[in-house]
Amino acid sequence: MFHDPRHIFEAETSKPQNVSQTLRRFAGYFRPYWRRYLGVLVMMIVSTWAAVTAPQLLGQAVDCYLVPPAATAAFEGVSPTLTVQPPSASGPAVQATDSACWYAEVPLTATTEERINGLAGLVLRLLGLYAIGSITTGLMFYWMTTSGQRVLRTLRVEVFHHILLLPIGYHVAHESGDIMSRVTNDADTIQQAVSFALIQVISGGFLIVWVAYKMLSESVAYGLVALAMLPFMVIATAWFSAQARKAFRRTRVRMGSVNAELQESISGVREAQAFSREDENIASFRETNAANRDANIRAVAYTSALAPTLEALGYVALALVAVAGGYALLEGQALLGETVTLGLMITFIAYVQRFNQPVQQISVLWTNIQSAIAGGERIFGLLDVVPDLQDAPDATDLPPIRGDVVLDDVWAEYEKGEAVLRGVSLRAAPGETVAIVGPTGAGKTTLISLIPRFYDVTGGALTIDGHDVRQVPGASLRKQIGVVLQESFLFSDTIMENIRFGRPEATDDEVIAAAKLANADKFIDRLPDGYQTSLGERGTGLSQGQRQLLAIARAALANPGILILDEATSSVDTRTERLIQSALETLLRDRTSFVIAHRLSTIRHADQVLFLDQGRIVERGTHESLMAKHGMYYGLYMSQFRRQSPTEGGDGRETRAAPAPA
Amino acid sequence: MKRSPTSPAPSSLTRAIRYLGHYRRETAYAYGALLLATSAQLMVPLLIHRMIDGITRGVVAQQTAALPATVQAAIASRMGITLAQLTQAGTQPVQALVISGLLILVFAMVRGLFSFSQAYMGERVSQSVAFDLRNDLFSRIQRLSFSYHDRNQTGQLMVRATDDVEKVRVFIGQGLLMATSALLLMVGAIVILFTLNPRLTLVVLPILPLALGLFLVMGSVARPMFGLVQRKLSALNAILQENMAGIKVVKAFSREPEQEQRFQKAADDFLAQILKVMRLMTFLMPLVFFIANLGQAAILFFGGRQMILGTLSLGEWQTFSLYLMFVFIPVAQLGFIITQMSQASASAGRIFEITDARSDVVEAPDARLLPTVRGRVEFENVTFRYFGGGKPVLERVSFVAEPGQQIALLGRTGSGKSTIINLIPRFYDPTEGVIRIDGVDLRQVALDSLRSQIGTVLQETTLFSGTIRDNIAFGRTDAPMAEIVQVAEAAAANEFIQSFPLGYGTPVGERGVTLSGGQRQRLAIARALLLDPRILILDDSTSSVDLETEWRIQQALIRLMQGRTSFVIAQRISTVLNADQILVLDDGAIVARGRHEELLETSEIYADIYSSQLVDDSAGVTVDAAAAMATES
Repeated sequence: MFHDPRHIFEAETSKPQNVSQTLRRFAGYFRPYWRRYLGVLVMMIVSTWAAVTAPQLLGQAVDCYLVPPAATAAFEGVSPTLTVQPPSASGPAVQATDSACWYAEVPLTATTEERINGLAGLVLRLLGLYAIGSITTGLMFYWMTTSGQRVLRTLRVEVFHHILLLPIGYHVAHESGDIMSRVTNDADTIQQAVSFALIQVISGGFLIVWVAYKMLSESVAYGLVALAMLPFMVIATAWFSAQARKAFRRTRVRMGSVNAELQESISGVREAQAFSREDENIASFRETNAANRDANIRAVAYTSALAPTLEALGYVALALVAVAGGYALLEGQALLGETVTLGLMITFIAYVQRFNQPVQQISVLWTNIQSAIAGGERIFGLLDVVPDLQDAPDATDLPPIRGDVVLDDVWAEYEKGEAVLRGVSLRAAPGETVAIVGPTGAGKTTLISLIPRFYDVTGGALTIDGHDVRQVPGASLRKQIGVVLQESFLFSDTIMENIRFGRPEATDDEVIAAAKLANADKFIDRLPDGYQTSLGERGTGLSQGQRQLLAIARAALANPGILILDEATSSVDTRTERLIQSALETLLRDRTSFVIAHRLSTIRHADQVLFLDQGRIVERGTHESLMAKHGMYYGLYMSQFRRQSPTEGGDGRETRAAPAPA
Repeated sequence: MKRSPTSPAPSSLTRAIRYLGHYRRETAYAYGALLLATSAQLMVPLLIHRMIDGITRGVVAQQTAALPATVQAAIASRMGITLAQLTQAGTQPVQALVISGLLILVFAMVRGLFSFSQAYMGERVSQSVAFDLRNDLFSRIQRLSFSYHDRNQTGQLMVRATDDVEKVRVFIGQGLLMATSALLLMVGAIVILFTLNPRLTLVVLPILPLALGLFLVMGSVARPMFGLVQRKLSALNAILQENMAGIKVVKAFSREPEQEQRFQKAADDFLAQILKVMRLMTFLMPLVFFIANLGQAAILFFGGRQMILGTLSLGEWQTFSLYLMFVFIPVAQLGFIITQMSQASASAGRIFEITDARSDVVEAPDARLLPTVRGRVEFENVTFRYFGGGKPVLERVSFVAEPGQQIALLGRTGSGKSTIINLIPRFYDPTEGVIRIDGVDLRQVALDSLRSQIGTVLQETTLFSGTIRDNIAFGRTDAPMAEIVQVAEAAAANEFIQSFPLGYGTPVGERGVTLSGGQRQRLAIARALLLDPRILILDDSTSSVDLETEWRIQQALIRLMQGRTSFVIAQRISTVLNADQILVLDDGAIVARGRHEELLETSEIYADIYSSQLVDDSAGVTVDAAAAMATES
């Protein structure tokens, strides 16, 4: 219940995803940039126009200036220009007719000089056309990539926001490295797609449509023959994309595992070295890494097959056009009721070649898009995890806490059916200190985790000043609760900023005052840069005790309405603890506090002591009353002397301090 | 990697490319297929030309069949063929056509096969190179010293092993092949052009160095920019990683808005840097296309001029222009690849920065195996500074621990206790002074042989994804189950482990069950005990266990410490009562040493610590217990 979404990952890999839905969601992110896309569309039309006009001009250069007059007259049709053959330089061939030149009126009597000048003019126009093509392509690229990058940034920030929104339970159940992989590696696949692929694919699509249109307008019958392979191309693309997407989904998951293992091994590198575990870790990483490699290799088997398949189909189309056209021509038959001329055939051969170019271009980049879709699915998959701890829609801010905390028959469980707390009820009046004791694993940490609503209760209710914690916004609740956790987490930032984390708007002086209160100032002053000393990740460079002092300073700075100390001073030596004891007392005074401690000194001053065992409160009262009761608390309390009593040669004072328990 | 000592250090990218040497056969396959596929591409114009010629001749032959032979001959010569060829073309035109068609089909299949092999093998090899690069990075990261990890963030290192490797991979798998094929095409086409018309070819040539020069300039401008992109991505990832690791604290203090702002700023920084690169590319890409087209236009003009002047025939021009695109399309391709290359080069630099990183703790080249330790540990004038600066954390510390002795370290938070125990397994090297085990300087022995004989329980217990059994057997994966249960019992962990439905098979770590601090600590103790080490280090190891459990662990430890040299940091004086030597540390120096009884007499600080304990625990108890006993009786 707290969440056990551990199976989400497995489900994700096998569940067939709705691609169009993923694409629609992407489209939603691109919507704010629609003006740019309008511009891109205009540029695309212009650049396609330039792209198809340039070869025509190139053909005209031949037809108008280069073909010797005699040849033009006698062998018009026998002098085909192949790749430079402009599709428009068609016209009925063989039967020599008018010149195919429409670019300029070039009289047969034109002098050499006139022809060269004319050619120069044409070349200049051509250059102009190229310039237009380049500029429009550049602009398209710019608008597409910049908006694509902005979309990615939005996505990343959104994912981060969502990660922070997800409850602790989710984070406990999932590898953080895998979640991180979505923000970096999966997002990167999208980045690659939006930079180049998308624009190429779209402009390639434009060209294809244009060529197809030209073919059909020249001759419907011949056009259909030339396009006969198109359905196969579409089928091949669809099949290979579906396969590739499946394979890419697996690669994304594998990459997530690589990232997770990296994360775990790097953050646990100290343990690995302490136990000479490096070789095992390296071997284990090799396996994960190899699984990622193999998944990728499987994926590329599909993606590398698409382009050659389409290319081969393109050649088939070419052969088809040539053979069918040539046959009709030679046999003097009509092709599907239309007459084929040599000129038409040559034109169509050129068309098919032009048609194949964008098809190739698209197929190469198509895989990037498939990979991006698989990456997008994972990102959206994370965004779709509904936090089971959500602010109620009608939540109103929790007013300043007085500190009346009531737990009414509270049940809690992490795994279904395994209750950690079983019907805990307690009431802490404002300003009271409640100590929670009990054996390890009794549910103490769970109990205090419910107060800032890190988890939700599964039964019963927890109220603060009469407000059910589920009915107030999490932020307004937690802002008023100070927590010092068992493991004090520090950020890789300066000491000053780490303490200020408790209250970002605090001044430097306030931070220093809090550090003094927690008795942390002495060791801080000894550091090379004092409060400005930058800590390593998680505060490396400081001992656990020092980290705890900083965590206490942080909580003190927050000045919370409710204070929770979970083993806050477990790693602080007793002398330092004695020094901060008074500070802690000041901190605890006048605010409701929950304290988990094994040092009984803290507990003795508590207003209430709760003895927790197996998720139930088995004893409650004050220290004195519980001692008098001679129950479990008494046994726990006395146990520390049992461990001292076997000391051989214990001096007099020690023996005096250790009366054998009854 | 063969490299003569005189040759300059190769660039990072070259080093990455050399990884292909691990897969010679596959690489040869990929490039062989590339060669064939590229040559096949050069045949396309010929094939089409041939086919069209065939049809044209057939048609002409059919149409001129009725004309007189002399006219036919004239036409044939105009077409550049003999009369015989023309009449032959007329006899079986359909058959020739079908053969041409079939030829194209065969060609299509062959070319398809080779281009598939090229793409597939290329990707395959690149995945293998990425695999090697990641492994090398990981191994290095695993072995870099604590001080390296103190300075570097997990999130940043992760990006190098994922995103940077991917950038290099994409280049090796696609860019490098594309560049090779582009160069091949270009050179092949230029050679063909030269044989066709050297004069006209000379017109094209100046454009090539111009383009290539431009690419090189752009590449060198882009490289540092891409490096910065990766740096910003690392920063972003570091924030992400840190927030996930510290999610509880972030939530506890409701600092989500600030952290989101921090992340947003990093994301904006990253975006700004990418946009900078994109702007450069926006400028570069059209320029490249324009230059490629410029060549085409230049040829058109100069070639056309030659034709008009009659020095170039139309047929020659046509063949020439067919191959022209094989010069300029590669130019455009190279322009695209150059950005990929500078990106890969920047990333390769970042990868090798790690694999080349020198660990502060280096095994001496002549390091020998530390023989089975007896357990004499000696510190001689050891001084240590963290981060290489500031006030020393330890200053001229000297002591000797005899084999089997139990050494207790006492002192206030930050007095240097943890530092001492971090120096013994050589997690750090002392700034000055020498540490010896059984008389051997630690810097002269192999790290593994040293650390495998030391059992450590660190302050924080990290559990790894896996079962409880895996976590206990962390330092000795092959340990039999019986031994694992035995050490778990000794660490007072067996009981709670058995209470889980899955027992020792219970998954823990990131995706496993949540253990309490005390439970984690006991697993860590079991983990250390399993090594059966000669030297045992316990840092704060019993502090977050309740007193009852601590007492039981204590009993186990007392037995275990027998015969081993042990170093114990414990807050409670009770833990150190049995110590053979107590070292009292203050401000990085040993201020008192001796046994409990001696120190009580001689050391004011020790007496002070002792009395703080009495006030803390015992004294109160004395009163309460007395009271309790009184009420009881």
